[in-house]
Amino acid sequence: MTSPRPFDRILIANRGEIAVRVIRACRELGIESVAVYSDADARALHTTLADVAIRIGPPPAIDSYLSIDAILAAARQSGAQAVHPGYGFLSENADFASACKAAGLTFIGPPPEAIDGMGSKIAARKTAIEAGVPVVPGETPTDQSNDAIADAARRVGFPVLLKPSEGGGGIGMKTARSDSDLVETIAQARREATAAFGDGTLYVERLIEQPRHVEFQVLADHHGHIVHVFERECSIQRRHQKVIEESPSVAVTPSLRQRMGDAAVAVARKAGYRNAGTVEFLVEGAGDSARFYFLEMNTRLQVEHPVTEQVTGIDLVRAQIGIAAGRDLPWTQKDLSQRGHAIELRVYAEDPARQDLPQAGLLLLYREPSMPGIRIDSGVTEGSEVAVHYDPLLVKLIATGETRDAARMRALAAIRNYPILGIRTNIPLLMELLEHPRFIAGNVDTGFLDAEGDTIRARLSSSPSPAVVAVAAAAREVGPTVAARGTRAKSIDPWSSLRGARV
Amino acid sequence: MSNPDDPIDVLALGNGRYQVTRGTERSIAFAVAGRDTWVFLDGRTYVVSDTPDGSPRRSRIDEQGALTAPMPATVLTVNVAAGQQVKRNDVVMVLEAMKMELPIRSPRDGVVKAIRCEAGELVQPGATLLELEGNVEG
Repeated sequence: MTSPRPFDRILIANRGEIAVRVIRACRELGIESVAVYSDADARALHTTLADVAIRIGPPPAIDSYLSIDAILAAARQSGAQAVHPGYGFLSENADFASACKAAGLTFIGPPPEAIDGMGSKIAARKTAIEAGVPVVPGETPTDQSNDAIADAARRVGFPVLLKPSEGGGGIGMKTARSDSDLVETIAQARREATAAFGDGTLYVERLIEQPRHVEFQVLADHHGHIVHVFERECSIQRRHQKVIEESPSVAVTPSLRQRMGDAAVAVARKAGYRNAGTVEFLVEGAGDSARFYFLEMNTRLQVEHPVTEQVTGIDLVRAQIGIAAGRDLPWTQKDLSQRGHAIELRVYAEDPARQDLPQAGLLLLYREPSMPGIRIDSGVTEGSEVAVHYDPLLVKLIATGETRDAARMRALAAIRNYPILGIRTNIPLLMELLEHPRFIAGNVDTGFLDAEGDTIRARLSSSPSPAVVAVAAAAREVGPTVAARGTRAKSIDPWSSLRGARV
Repeated sequence: MSNPDDPIDVLALGNGRYQVTRGTERSIAFAVAGRDTWVFLDGRTYVVSDTPDGSPRRSRIDEQGALTAPMPATVLTVNVAAGQQVKRNDVVMVLEAMKMELPIRSPRDGVVKAIRCEAGELVQPGATLLELEGNVEG
């Protein structure tokens, strides 16, 4: 892209690592970045890194990152021409996309109609069926009473998944294995759906056992060009939230890749899709005879987009910005190829030795590994406060190598050399997973972590060795010097970081 | 290789980095001393606490029968009332943190003596959620 910059100023309606990722893309393109932040994020990495930062409200997301009014006011105040929604929060909210348009802002994502069409699981399935793509049995009962949901579950058959109709990312998704679980599961799914999305409408779906989760990245411009950028395998999940993702998938052969890629493009075309999106499939079996089912389409950038970037050499955020500015896709399908292998590890603020209990606190010490083939997409830095209000994802570590095993060994070497002190993280679990015989063999499905998790976790608790005790004694002698820096930061007035807000 | 009788030598390198030497084995550790001392060695993180029982963040019942919050969280539902009989593993309340529901289960059979929080309340780690009476051995 040698032409003039597509926008002068972009507002990023998000926080954490994805806000940082988009700020960096803006910087490369010579575009000014505008961050928004809640009071909990006044000193967060994304807030301090952007060219301009504007406060949008108190810590609860509903009053800040989910407040359309507050974000549009920030856009007006900053003079931004476009809004990048990141993932989560308002990224799949058609009202927000419409409101941006009405305010004269370019929404860096699909048109509201495509978000609506794909955000509703009923409409998305219909679109997939019309596009000739197979789907998993399921329904959203028009009668949303608990009794009607229970009836639908019995019709679809056990085991059954209950998901928020408005949701994504596995939030609020619950499984019932028999009639006796149903009442409690419906109530729990309803509560989480209402809390997370403000809408308790539930979708009921047959759970396909031992499937792989394989998704295809698509890109569509405003001139009728659509390409897929190959697959990502995301079968390592816990509670339906992804933990490790990779590209390519060991289960996908060239002929299956061709069929699934064509299906993904067909769904995107039928949906009138624009910009970056992801078509998710469940895959039963492996190899040329594997069957795949359309699961859903995520109408936004995915958390795991870096693995695609690493194996294709494409910058998806840059592509999103170019598409939003009305440019043609710079490549056709035959220009695109995969090279090597990439594995992404999601580092969460949670304690794997204690039922993945979320952790909050100050990062007393935080040192990123730097070595060949390692990319770190982080939302935190040393001294960051990890708050209880938001998603526990701290950082993504992406390892790239010539082969899957080279990438795996790089990932392991890097994650072993990644001290994060002050809160517990899932790094011990990630290390165990990378060395698990089933992961090494690529023999995984979406139930892998649920099935093996307890055995893996049992190995995690280790008592301090004499060497650890000796280091602790030495650290106590040195005193809390690194900690003191974090403590001092606490007394800073949040308003003092409002730099550039006068723009 | 090192053997268990080799002395452990720790050298502070500054900025939280430490060189650990034992026999011919050397490695780099990271550590910060605060209320607890955090140590990172060979890919593992340890919290070395002065109190033998570990951190107060643990969700557990103490000798007085007080069940405490394991982390900062919002109380979603309180499923029991004072005076109610509960069994081990009954979900007595549900907390929510980071968009996840966290069921709090009774660690033993007993009778709820008092509820110390209410739905919607933001609780801090170590805050008493409820008190149980009954046989502590359970």
